[in-house]
This record gives sequence, structure tokens and C-alpha cells, in this order.
Amino acid sequence: MEGIFRDLHWGKGISIQQYLQPLTLPEALEMLAEYHGEALIIAGGTDVIPLLRRGDLRVEALIDITRLPHMNYIEADGESVCLGGLVTHAQVCSSALIQERAGILAEAAGVLGSPQIRNVATVAGNLISGQPAADTSIPLLALNAKVKILSPAGEREMPLTQFFLDQGRTALDCSREILTQIRFPALQKNQGGSFLRLSMRKALALPILVSATVVTIDPEKKTIKEAAIALGPVAPTPFRVLKTEARLRNSPISKGSLEMAAESAFAESNPRSSLLRGSMEYRKAMVKVFIRRGLSRALANAGGAVTEEV
Amino acid sequence: MVSFFLGDIGMDSKGEKRKKVITREPINLRQFIPPQAEPELSVVGQAVDRTDAKLKVKGKLDYGADYPQEGFLHGKILRSPYPHALIKSIHAEKARKLPGVVAVLTAKDVPGRNGFGVVLPDQPVICGDKVRFVGDTVALLAAETEDVAQRALSLIDVEYEALPAVFDPREALKPGAPAIHEKGNLLNHHKLRKGDIEKGFSQADIILKRSYKVPFVEHGYLEPDMTMAIPQADGSILIQGPMQAPFTLRRNAAAVLGIPINKVRVKSISMGGGFGGKEDAPIDIGCRAAVLAAHTKRPVRLALEREEVTLQTAKRHPHIMDIKIGAKKDGTLVAFEGTIYNEKGAYASLGPLVNIHSAIMMAGPYEIPNCKVDSYLCYTNHPFGGAMRGFGAPQVCFAHESIMDELASELKMSPLEIRKKNAFQLGSATATGQILEESMGLRETIEACAKAFDWDRRYREAGYIDRERTRRRGVGMAMGFYRTSIGTSFDGCGANVYVHEDGSVLLYSGITELGQGSFTVLSQICAEELGVNVEDIRLVSPDTDLVPEAGPTVGSRSTTLMGNAIILAARQVKESILEMASQMLFVPVEKLEARKGRIYNQDNPGRFVSFKDVAARCMATGKRLIGQGWWAPPPLGVDPETLQGNPYFVYAYSTQMAEVIVDLQTGEVEVTDHVAAFDVGKAINPKAVEGQIEGGIAMGLGYALMEEIILKDGTIQNLNLQDFLIPTTLDVPDVKSIILEMKTKFGPYGAKGVGEMPNIPTAPAIINAIAHACGGRVRSLPANPERVYWAMIEAGGPPAQ
Amino acid sequence: MKDLNLTFNLNGREVSKKISPNLLLVDLLRDVLNLKGTKVGCREGECGACTVLVNGEPVNSCILPAMKVAGQSVITIEGLSKEDELDPIQQAFIEEGAVQCGFCTPAMVLTAKALLGKNPHPDESQIRQSLSGVLCRCTGYRKIIKAVQKASLDK
Repeated sequence: MEGIFRDLHWGKGISIQQYLQPLTLPEALEMLAEYHGEALIIAGGTDVIPLLRRGDLRVEALIDITRLPHMNYIEADGESVCLGGLVTHAQVCSSALIQERAGILAEAAGVLGSPQIRNVATVAGNLISGQPAADTSIPLLALNAKVKILSPAGEREMPLTQFFLDQGRTALDCSREILTQIRFPALQKNQGGSFLRLSMRKALALPILVSATVVTIDPEKKTIKEAAIALGPVAPTPFRVLKTEARLRNSPISKGSLEMAAESAFAESNPRSSLLRGSMEYRKAMVKVFIRRGLSRALANAGGAVTEEV
Repeated sequence: MVSFFLGDIGMDSKGEKRKKVITREPINLRQFIPPQAEPELSVVGQAVDRTDAKLKVKGKLDYGADYPQEGFLHGKILRSPYPHALIKSIHAEKARKLPGVVAVLTAKDVPGRNGFGVVLPDQPVICGDKVRFVGDTVALLAAETEDVAQRALSLIDVEYEALPAVFDPREALKPGAPAIHEKGNLLNHHKLRKGDIEKGFSQADIILKRSYKVPFVEHGYLEPDMTMAIPQADGSILIQGPMQAPFTLRRNAAAVLGIPINKVRVKSISMGGGFGGKEDAPIDIGCRAAVLAAHTKRPVRLALEREEVTLQTAKRHPHIMDIKIGAKKDGTLVAFEGTIYNEKGAYASLGPLVNIHSAIMMAGPYEIPNCKVDSYLCYTNHPFGGAMRGFGAPQVCFAHESIMDELASELKMSPLEIRKKNAFQLGSATATGQILEESMGLRETIEACAKAFDWDRRYREAGYIDRERTRRRGVGMAMGFYRTSIGTSFDGCGANVYVHEDGSVLLYSGITELGQGSFTVLSQICAEELGVNVEDIRLVSPDTDLVPEAGPTVGSRSTTLMGNAIILAARQVKESILEMASQMLFVPVEKLEARKGRIYNQDNPGRFVSFKDVAARCMATGKRLIGQGWWAPPPLGVDPETLQGNPYFVYAYSTQMAEVIVDLQTGEVEVTDHVAAFDVGKAINPKAVEGQIEGGIAMGLGYALMEEIILKDGTIQNLNLQDFLIPTTLDVPDVKSIILEMKTKFGPYGAKGVGEMPNIPTAPAIINAIAHACGGRVRSLPANPERVYWAMIEAGGPPAQ
Repeated sequence: MKDLNLTFNLNGREVSKKISPNLLLVDLLRDVLNLKGTKVGCREGECGACTVLVNGEPVNSCILPAMKVAGQSVITIEGLSKEDELDPIQQAFIEEGAVQCGFCTPAMVLTAKALLGKNPHPDESQIRQSLSGVLCRCTGYRKIIKAVQKASLDK
């Protein structure tokens, strides 16, 4: 009944008792520890503040980590690209490095929300939201990204494939831990990516379906060596269609492979019916479209376009 | 009690049906106000900068939420979580005890009539016995701070007994359906009967039956509603806030407080958008804040959060529209039968007037000898409909323009051809038998629009645009007509014009500024008539203590009706000015002209006196410098049994054409071009008219593609702007507007109303373009990607060509 | 709840205030500093009416904790013009008829200001992109875009 009450009676502000701005990582961890789970890390805040206002989240303190040094960088590290935990969507979208080495991430970062949101919302925050269609989580999942998590016990690295646990829940406990880095291998020669998004209007709209595809081709054999395809929301978390990927391994670059993948992903996906963003039947039908299109474009970007006519 | 509206809809003050005999009275010649010598107008017709633009671009204009809050109590509303339930008990002791809470009020605390409403006062200020929609008001609360008020709300204990609820208007009409109001769920039923419908269908070579549906949508004005109620020392009360209908609020507040009308003062302050939604929402929160203020004897401020605006305030009425249309094989229409299930929601609001309008407009701008329309206004346990830009017309236009295209398709005629065959022209009879005797530009808008859009070529060349054949371009058109003003028996309005001894002018007009530019346009009319500059006019903001009764700022009535009243007021002053100038110049009055602050001899413009000097002389010699004007439309009326007669006195016309690209695999629609032509009578300020057109088209585009209030078990699922979608800069194309002027003799300088017309044919033009592009016919708005997708599947796939 | 010290640069001048930790930037500007030009439309970061420039970038002040601007520079609509003069963008809005109800106008003007500061001659698509975070229900956006184009030409 309480949730229903809140749905009918809306307030202006958020009720927190304290707002802290640590200057170092150890300080941040200490502050978190002091609050015993009653404090939350905040960076851009574009997810957290509305949740606090609605009463869906209740904390005593916010710990704003945007002052922490050495967390706002976009760097190449050998074959990988590294993003600091404070990098914003605007920075990712306009980064020449990312546009060149992982264009699908720049694209995804450039369509989320609006320019105002992108100026403050961090990519790390997008991952931590744990939403199944969080725009940057989808390409990062397809890029086989890893995240570094700092806790009082130390730092650990974790593949993104293990990071999402359930809708709104990730392996990171943001009352205790901080996401410090995201890293992923940049796209190489013979690799190509695509990012697709379906929504009800062209800005400020949560997606009906979003997909990211990264393919590695063997140009001589004209086969798909490897495909990584992430979709959302077709499950409680951002989702890799692993069975479909397995079927695509070493399959020929052909319309037949695209069709096979579309049917396979269709079977693997389990979107819910949403009153706001599309029925299950429609979303599943769109999975097929996105698989075909996504693969087709990624293959073309890898230099292995499908050439057959219908 | 608002009896003068009800007579028009055949009801008496108890809401009972009443027989009314309509006679056609001769037109009083005073209805026509011949404009002054047309040759060059000095102010009217100019794209003058808005008088309030400078304050707005600097962020210096105060909207309601910007007013100081010191000294105000904060009011809040406790809302029902049930769509239909009895209230068994309310326990507010815990809430009252919270420090800072000043009052918690229930139904028994309403001092006067516990009911408000623009047409019927059927909406309780505070529900006493039962609640009728999720969000209905169960208690009112005032506290020293917003924070305390919010916390105290959750301490009020209400015990409900849930009742079966009904959410579909057709279900609501079935015998045995839960009765939402005492008199049952059918609020009214309008019948339009013209000719002989059976005979008509018997003459048809082709008969088509289709059903169309449109949902609840929100106005989406950027400024959330708020109000301030301030008790005055002399026992009167001041209510101020953004609102379109200060006089309607005043009479409702007086009744609710149980005090005479002259003890209520209402001020309309600048709005951040209205679109009809600020016609009745301010009455809702205004009466409630007034009750809190009267009880606590302190100023009360009641402001809604965005989500509460969606929960609580009126929306556009959903319509389920069944049409049966008959035509000859050459496309001539012979019979039109329509049934409208007009979903009222929980309370009457503007519903009764919307319903009659929907019935009257249902058959569209076509000459059809045999028409039958039945429009049923049905209560449901949903949030309620009120006034929203178009007032029934956007809904029915979607239906009649869709079926015209479907008919054209069956007859293998082009959409343009079939419309040209049947469109109104001068001398046509409407579905109510009204002869359109003047100011008729529909066919001209068709020609102008088709030419500017290059219709013939684009219609032929529609087709696939990519090699992979995944995207297809299509074009569509739609037409509409729309009344100026509301056609009720009370539709008059007054204006006062005061000229001062230095030539400066105060203009008193009760028409409000929603953003549409009324303050500027009305000042232009006043300046033109007096012969001064717009800068010489200062318009006094609508304050019911200061301005004469004006009626509400609705129904595209402001420019025409208030413009006429202002002209009449200005002419009273001008009489003195010209007489005095005549004396000063030794020139007879008939030879004098007044322009831009000078009065001069037509034959010898070099001989002039300044308006300023003349005004000073008038003042010095006791000559009248105050003018008062009152204008009401010519007598109108329709037979309550057949809706035959003259419901409104003049119409604006529009033809619109849209180009879309449809993604055939996903159903996504992009509107790539839109051209719209309008006959507005006279564009007093062409830039302002364009602004209404461009904004109205964007609103229509939203209605077509993305807007929908989604309800489940009576509860709105999309309360905020994240989930109720209106168009962004990336969704709206560059729009081309064409303004045509077929002057009406009833309007100032020939002007008709234009505020609502632009958003009426837009949605069907786009829906028709979608059908042309992909073969999928969407009959239930909005045409979001999923609906377009299923429509294509239903059509068996996209066209081959 | 203990008050916090906030110091930041507002419209070119340094401001210091004691504020409560839960204060949002829009409420700091409107209720504490009495600058009412920044509007509240939705409190969700969805309508953009609350847009201000933080370090030159448009952000939604309704979902930004006030403390976040400590040591940063903030520009509101009040900071765009002194006394009676108008910024060319404001002038262009008036001349092009880009103002109707005016509620989105401060946000549109500030966002345009940020755009033209970075990209003095944007094309229509770039203008639309940069303004895509501010909703307008009155104008259909056409005259707003024309105003930005005019301002960019007049520079």
C-alpha cells in the first residue's frame, strides 16, 4: 500500500541527511564503511536522484565521487581501451579514440537520454543501474568488457558477463564498493561492430530494444570466426545470446547464417510485455530484425559484407 | 448554477432533458462591425514582436511558481488509490497533531456547495461518500511547509470499501454496470439526423464500415498547475494563478465557499502553456485552495508536481468511433452514419460540450445529404476528459479523414480526388444543415497545399528508398474545419479602453495569455482602431475585479470575440477623439483618419494633430475618454433532437499534407515533411499565426505517433514525461505553413480563430501517409512502431512496388 | 541535518552559502538565491526546463545536488544579459517569434548559447541535436531553430 501511496502523492526533494565529497579513494571507502550500508555512491546522479525523490531508494547519505582524481580518463592501453569510472557519456561520445577503436560505444553513449543527461551521467553509473537495456552496457557486453571494482578488501576485476545479476542488481554493492575502471579490447582489423536502437521517439526515450554486435571474420574463408551479440531488454539483465553465438562460430558469411541467427536469438530471448514499450510478441519479432541487421552491418564494417540478393 | 450552458445541450439545471424549440432569428446588424478603410492597416497584419517576449527571454516573467511563498501555507491533496469505492471512514487525528499541520479537511468542511465543474458541478471538492477514479480527492491538508504537508498526508487513515469499477464506455452503458453517478453512466446522448439515412445507403454503390479509436492524452504544458488563495481583510478572497477561465473559477469558488460572486476576486497570471488544460484544472485546485484558505484564514498555495498534473487534471476525451459510409462509384458521398462512444471518465468537466461538438463535426467538411450520428458520453472510473485543443475535433477528424482515404482506396481514386469531389464550398450545407454563406476557403487551402507540397508528383513517386527495400516513403493528406468560439448561449465578452491625457492607453480585457500571443494581438487591434502604436497600449492583466466579463480563453474565440469588443470600446473613445480633432483642424469628421498617433485630413495628410494633444484637450474639456464594448455572436442554436441548425457562426479551414518514411521491418515512422494551408480570415499577426500552426502541427504529430495515457485497472502507468512522450526537436520536421485570408464579416478585420485548427488534421494526414507508405492502416492511435508493425502484418505486408 | 558550505561562481560572481545537504541545484537557485528564471517542469531530468550551464555545459539542475557545483562555474538565464541589453540569441528569439509561453525559453536560450560557444555555425541537424533535451509544447521548434540560425549568422 505504501508504494501506491507514493505513486499518488509526490514531493519536491530528496531526503538525505548528509552529502559528502571525498577527495581520495581511501577516504571514499572509509566514508562508505562508516555508514554501514546507509550511504550510496553517486557520480552524475541522473538515476539516483529521481529514485530518491520517488522514494524507491532510501539512504542517509550520498557520497559524491566526482572529485576523485585519476578516474576521468579515456586511454589506449596496448590493444585495450580503458575508461575511468567517472567518464561521462558526453566524453565517450566525443572521444576520437573511442570513435575509432569502438565506434559502437560512442554511438550508444550519444543516444542515451539527452545532451543534458549525457553531460553528467557516467558510463560506470549506467552499468551499475543494472537495467537490462542500459544503453552503454549493451555494447560493452558485446565488447567483452571487464570492470575493476574497489572495495575495502582491495581491487578485483570481473568480466561484464558476470557483473549483471538481476534487474537493478549488479555484483557491485554501491554502499560498499566503487567501480573504478572499465576496459575492453579495441576492435581490430577483421572486426566490425554495429549498434541498433528502437524507441518511441528520437530523444529522451527508453528503448524498446537495443542491440550491439561485434563480429570477427576470416576474410579468406569468408566465415564468421566469432560473433558477440548483446541485446536488451530481453531478459532481466543485459543479455548475450550465447547459444546463437555458438551457432554462428565459423559459419559462412551468408544470408542463411543471418536467418539462422535470427531464429536462434528469437528462441533465446525472453522479453517481457511492457505496457509502455511494447508487447513480448513485438519485441521478439524485433529481435529477429535486429539480429539480421546488426550482423549485416557489423559484417560490412568488418569488411565482409553479405553480398547475396534476396 | 450554470444554467446558460445547459440550455444548449438540452438539459435543465437538474441535468434533466428539456425541450427547446429553436427559431432562426434575423441577424442583428450590430453583429457586423465594418472595418475601417482597409487600404493600409498600420498595425493589424504586421508581424509585430510579442509584447511579453523581452521579459520571457530574460527569464524575468513571473509564472505562478515564481511568486513569493512567504506567509503561505502549503496545501496538499490526499488521493484515492481505488478507481471506485465507498469511503467508510477517515481518521485524521495523527495528521492534525503533527507540528506544523494547520488543517485537515474532509467533505463536511466545505462551506458551500461541495461540487465544482465548468458545465455541471458534479465533481466534489472533497469526496464524501465515494471516490470515482484513482486520484480522486479524499481530504485536503494545509501545513506550514511542503515537507510537513507531505509527511502529514501519509498519516491520514482512510477506510475504503472497494466497488466494482468499469473502464470501458460501452461496458458502462450495459444494464447492470456499476453506477458511477446517481443518474447512471450515460451523461448525455446527442443525435444528429439529416436527410434519410436508409434511403442514402440504398443509393450507395459502395458501403464501408470501419472503427477507429483514440486514447486519453495529456496537454503536456511545461508549467505544472498551481494556485494561490489569499483571504482578504474585507472578507473577500483573492485566487490567483495560471488559468484560462478566471470568470468560471470565480463563479465556482463563490458557490463552493457559499459567498456572493462579488466577494471572490480572481487573477489570471502568465501561463506556461494551457491548451485547454488550464481551463478546468485551475478551478479544481483553485476551489480546493480557497476552501483551505477560508478555513485557516491564511493564504494557501497549492502546487502540483508533474506526476500529480497527470493524475489529477483533465485530459482529451478518448473516442471509439464506428463509421458506416456510403458513396457512389464516382466518389460522391451519399450517406454517413457514425456512432461515438465518448469516454467521459469520472466527472463531467467540459464533456457535455465536447460531446455535442464531436457529434456535429463527425461527418467532416463534406457535403453529405444523409447523415446520422449518435454520440454517447459515458462515465467510467478513469481520470476524466476536459477541454483539449480541438475539443472533440481531433478525435473525429482522425476518423473521418481515415475513412475517406480507405474509401478512396476501395474506389481506386486518389485521396485528393475524392476530397475535391465532396469538399465544402461557398453555399454548401453542413451535416447540421447550416449553409456556409461566407468566409469559405477550404478549396483554396486544398489547392494551395497541393501546389506547395507538389502532391501529384510525390503521390506518384512514393515507394522504396533503399536498395534492401526496408524503407518506404509515402504521402498523406487530411482536411478539417473548426469553429470560432463555443456556440453556447452565453458567449459574450466585454472590453474597456481608457485613454489618458498623455495619449497612453489602458486596455482591460479578460482574455488570458496562454502563450498563444493574445496579449499582443488584442493590443494590435486596439492600436489599429484608435490610431495609435502598439507601444502606446498597456494591457491590464485579467483580474475579475478590474476587467469586464470575457468568458474563458478557449475555443479559438479570443481574437474574434474580444477583438470585436475592443473595437467597439475603442470606437466610443474614438468618437470623442475625432470630434475634438475635427474642431482643432477645422476639418469635418468624415474626412479624418487616425494612424500611428496622428489624426489627419485624408485629403491633406500634412495637416494633422497628434493623438496625445487631442486626448489632452478632451480631458481638459470633460470629453469622454473611456470606452466600453460588448460583443456577442449572432443567435445560434440547434434542434436538440436532430442537431439541425446553426451551431457556430463561422469556421476556419485547413488542408494538411505529410510525407513519411516507414521502416517496414520495425514500424518506425519518420515524418520528413509537412505542409499545411489555413484559411484564417485575417492574420492579425502573421508570425503569431505561424507560431500556432507550427506548434499545433507538432502536437498533432505527437497525437499521431507517440502520445497515450496508458491505464491498467484504472491506474495511469505513465505519470511523468519520461513515459508520456511528446515530440522533441528530433521528431518534428521543418513545417511549411500557408496562410490564406477569406475574411469573415463577423471578425475584427475579418479574423477567425486559429488556435486549435492546426492540430486537427495533422494526425490523420500522417496516418494516411503511413498507410500509403507501407500498406498498414492504423485505426487506433498512437501509431507507435508496434502498431504500425501489426498493421502491416494485417495488410499482408508492404506494397510490392 | 548539518548545513554545508557551498562556494561557487554564479554568473561571473563568487557566491557562498550555507545549505542543507539535500538541496538540489534548481532549488538553490530559485528558493535560496531568488533567481526564478530557471524553471521546474518535471523534476526527473526529462523536460529540460531547468537547464543551466555548469562549466559551460547544459545540465538538468532539477536532478543535480547543489553541492556538486562547489568550485564550479554556473550560468543561469539571469547571467546572460546585463540590465536592459540582450544577448544576440535572446534578441534573435524575440525577432523570430520563437517565444510563445516562454517556459522553455530560458533553457533553450542557454543551451543555444553553449552550442554557439563551441560551434559558431551549426547546421540545422546540429542545432536540433543540441536542443533535443529541452521540450517545447508551444512552438513546434521551428522558430527556435530559426532564431539560433539567425544568432549564429549575426555573430
